[in-house]
Amino acid sequence: MSKRWSLRNIILIALIAIVCGVIFWLTSFIYNALTLILTPIGLAPAANDISLGLWIVAGPLAGAIFKMPGVAIFSEVAGAVVEMFLGDQWGVMNVVSGLIQGAGAELGFAVTGYKKYGHFQLLMGAIFTTLITFTWDWFKNGYSSYGAGLLIFLFIVRFISVWIFSDPIPMAINKLLKRSRAIA
Amino acid sequence: MNAAIKLFMVIVIGVEISFIQSVPLNLCILAVSCCYLLIKRVSIKSLLYLIIYPIIPATGLLVSQLFYGIQGPIIGWVLFTRLFAYVWLGATFTMTTNIKDLAFTLEQNFRLPSKFAYGVLTAFNLVPRIITEVQTIRHASLMRGVTMQLWSPKLYFKAILAAINWSSDLSQAMISHGFVEDAPRTHVEKTTIRWSDFAIFAFWLILVQVPIFVF
Repeated sequence: MSKRWSLRNIILIALIAIVCGVIFWLTSFIYNALTLILTPIGLAPAANDISLGLWIVAGPLAGAIFKMPGVAIFSEVAGAVVEMFLGDQWGVMNVVSGLIQGAGAELGFAVTGYKKYGHFQLLMGAIFTTLITFTWDWFKNGYSSYGAGLLIFLFIVRFISVWIFSDPIPMAINKLLKRSRAIA
Repeated sequence: MNAAIKLFMVIVIGVEISFIQSVPLNLCILAVSCCYLLIKRVSIKSLLYLIIYPIIPATGLLVSQLFYGIQGPIIGWVLFTRLFAYVWLGATFTMTTNIKDLAFTLEQNFRLPSKFAYGVLTAFNLVPRIITEVQTIRHASLMRGVTMQLWSPKLYFKAILAAINWSSDLSQAMISHGFVEDAPRTHVEKTTIRWSDFAIFAFWLILVQVPIFVF
């Protein structure tokens, strides 16, 4: 697979983002079910933090497959635009979320100057994504008015979810693709 | 109104209400968005969907603030109305504009390289097939007695294999129909940006600030 922004690669990156979105969408009842279960005990935001990993999988995955600067953020934004037109829960704010989540994964690759696309970069991406999205929720979802205990709990839950979908899962998919010689 | 400017305007307002804790502001945005959608004759079914869909997450946020919020119940109501404002505000864009208009104006007026505009547009048109493909993969594995969870790498792997084939086919089809990467293009449908687009943009942006100072 050539490492450049060819028409084929652009279509493929957008398709990978949509595949991730579709897999999440097909099981989005999980998000609503979790919210319903957690609402009576006042922990509905935890549903958001538990499932966040599924939202962000496209960025690290596309980055690990294509190994080019800008791929992670492009895949997240392209996926967000498509989901916006499909009529998803968050509408236009999807684009903002896509930008923010893509930026996290992108920064992970950027810290080592886009030279390597391994576990360390994906871990860094997970840390950045957690920090950036948590800051965003600090304002957007009212996290600023929770007590310290709940915040620490939500932060840890979010990091675990983001890390699992940023590092082990994209790497496993990448390995399967390499073994099948679908990518070099 | 120009699709890209409209999207930008809606995003700016959306980001602004994320930082301002005001129930009246959210309600004003909700009311204006509702009127706009009614004028644009959006179907009643879609409007009902817009009312029902945000209820679960909005209630979740509200209850959580009532239980654990340290700033009182008002924040809960801000978040509750904000979520509805996001969804209705977003609908003023998504229910009145299509992805083609957005792609064309980004390419023609905002210098987005045509391969990006048409590449994403191509992928968008494949969404129904992707949904079928993912369902087929899950059903095929169910027939072998294997449940594919949404975190299963094999599910993504199989779907991406299909995507790799489709992307080659699609790009070849586009090239054989005369699409040349990075070459200047002529357009049948020309999109333009008028001064009125900027005027409407400024008008709504200023109007959004009014409730902040009034209430």
